[in-house]
Amino acid sequence: MRTNRRTFLGQSSVVTLGAMPALACRGASTAALPKSNRDGKVLVVIQMSGGNDGINTVVPYSDEGYAKHRNTLRLPVDRLIKLDDSAALHPSMRSAADLFEDGRLAIVQGVGYPNPSRSHDTSMAVWHSAEIGDENTLRPHGWLGKAMDSRRAQAGADVSNAPDMVLLGDESQPLAIQSRRSIAVALSNLTDLRLRGPRWEAAEQGTRNSASNSLENFVGQTMQNAMATASALEQTIEQSHRGGVVYPSTQLGQRMQVISTLLKCGFQTPVYYAIQSGYDTHAAQMPTHAFLLREFSDAIQAFLKDLDSSGLADQVCVLGFSEFGRRVTENGSAGTDHGTAGPVFIAGNQVRPGLVGAQPKLLDLDGGDLRMGIDFRDVYQGITANWLGVNQDRASEDSQHSLKIFKGSLS
Amino acid sequence: MMVQVELSSWQPYRPSTASPWDLRRVHHLHRRAGFGANWGELQRDLDSGPHAAIDRLLLGNDVAEDFDSLQHLIGDAAVSSSDIHRLKAWWFYRMLYSGDPLTERMTLMWHNHFATSNLKVSNVAFMKVQNDKLRKNAMGKFSDLLRAVVKDAAMMVWLDARANRKDKPNENLARELMELFTLGVGHYQESDVQEVARALTGWTIRDDAFVNVEAYHDTGPKRILGRQGSFDGDDVLAILLDQDAVAERIASRLCDVFFGENVVPAGQLNELAVGLREHDLDLRWAVETILRSEAFFAENNIGNRILDPIQFMVGTLRSLERVHPPPSTFLLAEWSARLGQDLFCPPSVFGWPGERAWLSTRTMIGRANYATALLQGELHRPSQPIAIEELAQKYGCSTAECQTRFASELLFGNDHQTGDVGWMLRSTSANLG
Repeated sequence: MRTNRRTFLGQSSVVTLGAMPALACRGASTAALPKSNRDGKVLVVIQMSGGNDGINTVVPYSDEGYAKHRNTLRLPVDRLIKLDDSAALHPSMRSAADLFEDGRLAIVQGVGYPNPSRSHDTSMAVWHSAEIGDENTLRPHGWLGKAMDSRRAQAGADVSNAPDMVLLGDESQPLAIQSRRSIAVALSNLTDLRLRGPRWEAAEQGTRNSASNSLENFVGQTMQNAMATASALEQTIEQSHRGGVVYPSTQLGQRMQVISTLLKCGFQTPVYYAIQSGYDTHAAQMPTHAFLLREFSDAIQAFLKDLDSSGLADQVCVLGFSEFGRRVTENGSAGTDHGTAGPVFIAGNQVRPGLVGAQPKLLDLDGGDLRMGIDFRDVYQGITANWLGVNQDRASEDSQHSLKIFKGSLS
Repeated sequence: MMVQVELSSWQPYRPSTASPWDLRRVHHLHRRAGFGANWGELQRDLDSGPHAAIDRLLLGNDVAEDFDSLQHLIGDAAVSSSDIHRLKAWWFYRMLYSGDPLTERMTLMWHNHFATSNLKVSNVAFMKVQNDKLRKNAMGKFSDLLRAVVKDAAMMVWLDARANRKDKPNENLARELMELFTLGVGHYQESDVQEVARALTGWTIRDDAFVNVEAYHDTGPKRILGRQGSFDGDDVLAILLDQDAVAERIASRLCDVFFGENVVPAGQLNELAVGLREHDLDLRWAVETILRSEAFFAENNIGNRILDPIQFMVGTLRSLERVHPPPSTFLLAEWSARLGQDLFCPPSVFGWPGERAWLSTRTMIGRANYATALLQGELHRPSQPIAIEELAQKYGCSTAECQTRFASELLFGNDHQTGDVGWMLRSTSANLG
């Protein structure tokens, strides 16, 4: 038997990316959706890539500097959604404002780091790794990767086989979820989790020897769990087709829906990561920015509403961040250039709501840029310690504090 | 010079009534030491006896005549395309068609040991060079393997050797060199990591190749594992290779590959390590010792290891004779990533966690879906659904009952399975081997 050169080359040079036919919905199931058996806290990170213009996101509308620095990009004050007598949300963030009013959204203002870099790559790497420094700084692992490594070390053998981190989408794996030994996987769609062909649990009924060893039991049990999950997934999807919460048909909206589906099906992964790109608005910023902020706000609102109706909302926290804010002064093409500090969003039932940190002052600038109010590492510390329950060794020289982000005993 | 050591617990396997040379053991040999075998190969080895069968695996010369030129062509094309998916497909081609599956298996083991990911290296040529080094030294002396792989462009990038400079050491390579590549945790101190990092300064890459830059090297005195001297990187490798812990670590790595759960007791592992030291860390000696041993063919070492995704996939394709015409190796690479084993992209320096961690909800559904895709012929273009009846008839099975038994024996080396092939491929046993 010989490999035929032509046949081989001919066939293998066709790259067929696994576009597998979606499984047709199984016959409508009358059984109630199994209650999700997931436990533990979940963090969903939304990366607002490109540098979000924080000033037109959480607008310091009563600051005289706003009118002074923003001419074509000044949002009309009467259309802003006012949070208090000095801060307001962008008009397209109605959903976020609702969450704010419901007490489910915290907005941390003026978040940044010392000696900020205005390079997308470097600054994103800083946020990803929580290591401050220039592009030559070594950053082998991400902050979430490190947190998951610590979690594994704490939990010992008790960690489930579920991946520690899931990236939704087909972007390359961000540094934030790279780690020394935890597992991060990418999931671009749910097809990978849907069972094709016949179900096979019955195959295990006639196990040949009942005194089977523990490994066989393990495989059998994993199989049963996978079957149950696949089945729950079918039902969850079916149910959401029949008048569940409606998600916006944006890319981020769809990704949030996938995360919610995974949670409802009992996935034990604690960290989910989704990337929303497009914030690099150097020109004609207005329409793009409005779309992005609406996409962001609507997706989070739909997600939390969906989780509420599934009884999972208390377990979930959403973090939205960008690698930097933009310059206070607009440029000549109705856009803004790379700046420094910006707002960070934290949403969820257990979040201590409201505006956190001092509002950036637009007339007290540092070389034309906002001064940083809160170090992003304090936000991370609040999340890893108080939400994910991970104790990490802190470098004392960084003198980091944990930001009080969560309610009650979660502090 | 070889010193003959008494390996009391590694005595050679001799067929007996209690452990006969039967189909089950032939099947076991191929599944563990290679990527499965087809019916003809199983029967051939059953007839020839264990010695000849193991010889064949160790010699690995059962090569199709155009294999080497084809793999070169595909590998070179992958490198010039800079597309890592093509390199993955190249390796799948090798695993499907190599006449030396044991070496491919060992190469995979070393890829896991010296786990390097293209996600960071981001250079297909580097990854291929490293892979070729792993293969070339897979069954040679561990010292050669270590020296080749540690001084390698992909490794330099992966473990930040370029950032390791005099007065500004970076410990990444130093730590993994000791913790993962040679000694294992517990056999060195944190101070050793720091000192090794200093000794390794100067190692970097220039023009895509390893260089030792004197100006970056910290020439000062160091204290490493109790020894004192103005050590450099080569000295470090010599010192590490001189530690007893290295043989222990390799022995345990090899036993992970060739044995299932709770099979090798500590004493036996230790004896293998002693033997490795006596044989100058000769990997071929160790692999041969294992494959010829009573322990390898013992009842408690059969069917008690969770197959890695590649064994699960390639083994089935080879058994079912689905390699002529060839399946799409691109699709195979995608499937293996979906099942948790993305070649050239291990999840971390620890490699794939393996064993029970291969099976999660996601990968279990993936395995079932792979079986469906395989049976429906979707791995081939145009698609070619599998008709087990035809294969069974080719080997003289005409009744349905006989065909079921044939499929069970072909896939599992026993006749315990019932139902159709799809049923069998989704059973517990399909994940064990």
